[in-house]
Amino acid sequence: MNLGQIVPGAAHVYAVFRQDSKNDPHVHVGDVHASDAEMALIFAKEQFARRDPCVNLWVVRYTDIGATAYEDADMFEPTTDKSYRFGGSYREQQRAYRRR
Amino acid sequence: MTNLWTAPDAPMLLSDAASRTAVRALLLAMADDELVLGHRHSEWTGFAPDIESDVAMSSIAQEEIGHARVFYDQIAALDGTSADRLAFGRTPETFCNAVLTERPNGDWAFSIVRAWLYDHADAERLQAVAASAFGPFAALAKTLLREEKYHLLFSDAWLERLARGGDEASGRVQRALDAAWPDALGLFESTPDTTHLSAVGALAATPDEQQGRWESRVRPRLDALGLRPPVGAAPMRGGRYGRHLPDLGMLLMEMTSVWRSDPEARW
Repeated sequence: MNLGQIVPGAAHVYAVFRQDSKNDPHVHVGDVHASDAEMALIFAKEQFARRDPCVNLWVVRYTDIGATAYEDADMFEPTTDKSYRFGGSYREQQRAYRRR
Repeated sequence: MTNLWTAPDAPMLLSDAASRTAVRALLLAMADDELVLGHRHSEWTGFAPDIESDVAMSSIAQEEIGHARVFYDQIAALDGTSADRLAFGRTPETFCNAVLTERPNGDWAFSIVRAWLYDHADAERLQAVAASAFGPFAALAKTLLREEKYHLLFSDAWLERLARGGDEASGRVQRALDAAWPDALGLFESTPDTTHLSAVGALAATPDEQQGRWESRVRPRLDALGLRPPVGAAPMRGGRYGRHLPDLGMLLMEMTSVWRSDPEARW
């Protein structure tokens, strides 16, 4: 596994995660360059929250993110039919999740 | 936005010409400060040190100009004119902005120091208006204070990083502070209108009192960052009375050029 090595020399690149409302997950919306986390949050507010609704932002330095390697992407590929795992048709489940 | 002049407790203003004139004058001073500084901030669009600051400074510029618009709209309702005409159709000597706001940008350190000094002063002024005995005037200020919070976050974060960013950066910040401080004191220039508004409770703190509060906010912060305001600097007054640098005339020439090409055009 690759740990904290997504972009070489990315100590000043922060991934920005925006939460639209308190019931929503934080979603990766882009990156900012910044000297530190506080500055990254200040920048992120204008880059990613000036148009869309937002109640909370996270910033994470890229070097602090562990990631899988794209060469290993085959581990995500099913070898047999696993459609029984897909829960997409359960609308009530989605609705209940949103309501939490 | 409520029309100040027809709000439920407006009769106080409408029956009292001196108060009406004074409220109009304060609105104009606030509007002109925000418009002129907003324009200076907008001159960084495309030129700020990094793309993130470029976007942030441009947004702040839009918001300052947006605040100017709120004030101009109120004056326009009283005068029977439009915000555009007030912003673009006046000569420099009728502008009541403090000289601080019209100074050309120079380097990034100067623009950050100026924005920081101004944002703190603007917060004190808005709070004095937000505590006004005249309800609609207070409500107007309260809505604007929220956006000013981010402006202060941005300028304070930058100020700290420049002040602690080594000799080159801290030297530039100190020079910017030396240059901007007397102009910043000029933000608190009293006029007969501010005196009147304080006396009738429409302004909860006089400009002198606002300056006292401002200094008690900015001095400890500057001290913590190793920055020293110049000692015994004389305030740069005159802006509130229409006395300006040639820089304001040049700024207005550029800012109003499109509008002047056809003042009757509809956008």
